[in-house]
Amino acid sequence: MTEWHAAVRARAERDGVDLPSATVDELALHLEDLYESAIADGASPASARTRALAALDESAMSVLTRHAASHARRRAVRRAEDTARAAQGGSLQVLTAIRIALRQFRHHPGFALVTVLVLGLGTGAAATVFTVVDSVVLRPLPYAQPDRLVTLWDTNHAKGLAHEPISPVNFMDYRALPVFKDAAAWWRPAVNLADPGEDPVRVNTIEVSGNLFDLLGVRPQLGPGFPVGGASYVRNDPIAVISDRLWRTRYHADPSLVGRQLVLSGVPYTIAGVMPPKFHYPDDVDLWQRLGWDLTQHSRAAHFMEAVVRLADGTTLERASAASNALALRLQSEFAATNTAWGVRLIPLLDQQLGYYRPALMVLFGAVGLLLVIGCLNIASLLLTRALSREREIAVRVAIGAAPRQLVTQLLAESLVLSVGGALVGIATAAAALPLIVRFSPVAIPRLDEATIDLRALGAGLALVFATTIFFGLVPALLLLRGRLATGLRMADRGSSRAARRLYSVLVVGEVALACALLVSSALLVRTVGRMMRTPLGVNADEVVTTKVQLAGSAYRSWRLVADTHGRLLEQIRLQPGVGAAGSTNFLPLEVGWRLPFGIAGQPAPARPEDAPQAQFQTVSDGFFETWGVALVTGRSFTAFDTADSAPVVVVNESFAKRFLGDAPAVGRQIVSRASNIGPLGFNLMRGDLRAPPPVYEVVGVVRDVRNAPLGQATEPAAYFSMRQFPFRELSVTVRAADRASAINAIRAALRVASPNVPFSTARTWGEIFASRTAEPRLLMTILLVFGGLAALLAAIGVYGLLSWSVALRTRELAIRMTLGAKPSNVGALVVRHSALLAVVGLAAGVVIVRVAESLLRRVLFEVSPSDTASTAAAAAVLFAAALVACVPPAIRAMRVDPVEGLRTE
Amino acid sequence: MTPRPPDRTAVDAAKKGSADLLILALVDERALHGYDIARQIEARSAGTLRFTLASLYETLYRLEERGWIRGRWAERPGQRRRRYYRITAAGRRMLADQREEWGRFIAALTLVAGVKPA
Repeated sequence: MTEWHAAVRARAERDGVDLPSATVDELALHLEDLYESAIADGASPASARTRALAALDESAMSVLTRHAASHARRRAVRRAEDTARAAQGGSLQVLTAIRIALRQFRHHPGFALVTVLVLGLGTGAAATVFTVVDSVVLRPLPYAQPDRLVTLWDTNHAKGLAHEPISPVNFMDYRALPVFKDAAAWWRPAVNLADPGEDPVRVNTIEVSGNLFDLLGVRPQLGPGFPVGGASYVRNDPIAVISDRLWRTRYHADPSLVGRQLVLSGVPYTIAGVMPPKFHYPDDVDLWQRLGWDLTQHSRAAHFMEAVVRLADGTTLERASAASNALALRLQSEFAATNTAWGVRLIPLLDQQLGYYRPALMVLFGAVGLLLVIGCLNIASLLLTRALSREREIAVRVAIGAAPRQLVTQLLAESLVLSVGGALVGIATAAAALPLIVRFSPVAIPRLDEATIDLRALGAGLALVFATTIFFGLVPALLLLRGRLATGLRMADRGSSRAARRLYSVLVVGEVALACALLVSSALLVRTVGRMMRTPLGVNADEVVTTKVQLAGSAYRSWRLVADTHGRLLEQIRLQPGVGAAGSTNFLPLEVGWRLPFGIAGQPAPARPEDAPQAQFQTVSDGFFETWGVALVTGRSFTAFDTADSAPVVVVNESFAKRFLGDAPAVGRQIVSRASNIGPLGFNLMRGDLRAPPPVYEVVGVVRDVRNAPLGQATEPAAYFSMRQFPFRELSVTVRAADRASAINAIRAALRVASPNVPFSTARTWGEIFASRTAEPRLLMTILLVFGGLAALLAAIGVYGLLSWSVALRTRELAIRMTLGAKPSNVGALVVRHSALLAVVGLAAGVVIVRVAESLLRRVLFEVSPSDTASTAAAAAVLFAAALVACVPPAIRAMRVDPVEGLRTE
Repeated sequence: MTPRPPDRTAVDAAKKGSADLLILALVDERALHGYDIARQIEARSAGTLRFTLASLYETLYRLEERGWIRGRWAERPGQRRRRYYRITAAGRRMLADQREEWGRFIAALTLVAGVKPA
């Protein structure tokens, strides 16, 4: 406090005004200015003082009364602040430091913005993907002790089949094994649900053993469900349970539905319960019929059931698998005719339900983790650059007396501001991205709709962000403070900087390596999808519209009527405007037909029945091959005259002709089939009396192979029956028309004429169906491409940052080189070489990372090896190009170094 | 007839009314502290216009409260810590209005009373 302060206070007191201290300060300074200007004018100190005080004297302080009053409340605030300062000196200093940091970033927003965005987007993406992985893959299924549930599949090593439906009779043998506590099995009849006064609908249905719900540990929300215990496994009285969705949409959640009868494909069933919401086990099922026939009375050769078992207490999956395999071997020798080469496979329920998604999501999780680490490495480089470019600033500040603690507080505050910013962007990203993913996921991922933001994931991501910013923001600064300050002022471009450059190079190599791993993975997926899309299917039918039509119930007891109605339906469709061709089939391409034994007329029957040749058999109508664009190699295709009243005929594919008919012309040859019916689904009208010798079918045509196995498996020999000779209740009706709408209209119109009671279910084009088969890898590919692109970009930024900085620091060295005669091109090459070297080392490390992840990658690839050279080369080329592009601006800067100017810079 | 001193009441009132205009116009050019403002008003008006210490700061604080100017403590190289005043956007609008008003007023004085700028 100066004497001027005292004078102002005294004057104010005289006028009865309590001035705020800031005002007193200001007035006192004014007086001091007056005094000094008087001195400057040549006045003596005494008269200058009198002049200043005179100005005070002539002022009536009362005019400031109002101002003083309005400051009273601000004074209260200030007092509180003073107390706080006295109490804890640190906190206010930190707040000030944060304020300064904010101001700094406001003035240089580029650095702060990039950092916050990279951190935020990285964390957000990682948290979102982890949330999806967690809710889809890691969270337990909503069943009792879900880790004890296992699905049961047949395998056949001779035919390369790894995942086949199980035969009902074999299932009953496995079911008796003591390693299983309980086992349920089902098959999938398609059911037409008819209610008086409403359109009939097709409902996804399984006919399942009565113990399913008990086995899963799920109770109906309404009604008793299937009775538990005793002879509940198979019963003849028809009862069914429906899903909550069907109950609400079709029956308006009417509680009196339980106990009522519904007509399912012409048969009345009593409704025994309504399952809880979202329960659709095994997949999207709306109706569970209790099994009404004895599984042991079927055939061991027919593989069409699915099964889930609960492991016995204390039994491991390995022990259960071993016991099942032992039984499979025994069945092979005991029932050689049907069981040769057939084994069994146990797959945990969760793995089974997720299928492709489990490895895919794990790959995705790895990818997003890599991306986050790349982001953090990038931030680390950025912070490092910043700290090093401030080396001199820090050195100067220390030299003029700044306390190290103060500097550290300041640097800490800057890191804190960055990480909080990044955290906020991250949280916002995750919150925004998750609902979008759930809503717009192009493929139905099981359980995705149950995903909610995972706080642990977000927390882990944020912790990583905080750790990175604080570590890399603070550590270089601390090093500068501790060791190098003495030399810092003199040798900013040597000493610590060389060590830093090494660290920096390691960071960039790491970034390039991780980006390389990501890019190689996405390139592999691109190749996978390409292979899938290019797999020849033998059809040209992207525009063909298909829908399923089932002729069931008492109206269609007669199989001749089924055949006639399907035939009439096709004829009616062909009459509709815009229709080019129509045909029906019981298996679409990529689906596996019935594998049945057969004989070739004129060749001796094999000694053992199990040695008889086997091929896929399928029923198609006249017009099918024409509709699907399947080329006829020789002979003819089916006509409307290949009926039950004419001679038995088959058409075979090229594989069949080549494998079984040899070099002789196929047309005119004869094959023998004992097939009389396929369960209740299809019936052979040509096989009248089962005691009579089996019918002999004449091969009337050979068609090109149509892929009749999943992608990745070889097309099998196939024979086609005429639909009018071997009809199925349910067929896919397929139409080639001018456009989709006229195809659908044609089917609807034809159904009204030919079979008015049969519902029109959804129709899709073959193109859509095929796309949905490849949707999963395509989705994964898209995401990985985005991640890979981002990673490459970040790596390029990293290379750019390193080289820019190192060129700036080496200006003097470059200048000396130029003075000594180096050409600008030499200097440019020096920089480019540096970049190329880092990129090459990074790429090599990236390839190693891919090798480590090989076993996981293999599970999401199709006909592409994880060590695929083309993919690796493509990814490496992209990254190398990015690294070279990134070094162009620094190289140009290096070439433009003016030797004179360069030497002048310290 | 003894010469009477000129009646200053009207002119004093006008000076008082013009205080806002003067200060806004000065801090519109650049940020100034209180002493600078006082000195510049005095210098530019050749001593005709003068504020007392209290009335100067009263006016500054009032203008600040109305949001037309804003004061900030700042340290400039080689100078003491001082409170600098700077015009705000609202102050600039107010300044434009006042300049127009006073322009009309002075034009009216010239036309009616033959007052000319000295």
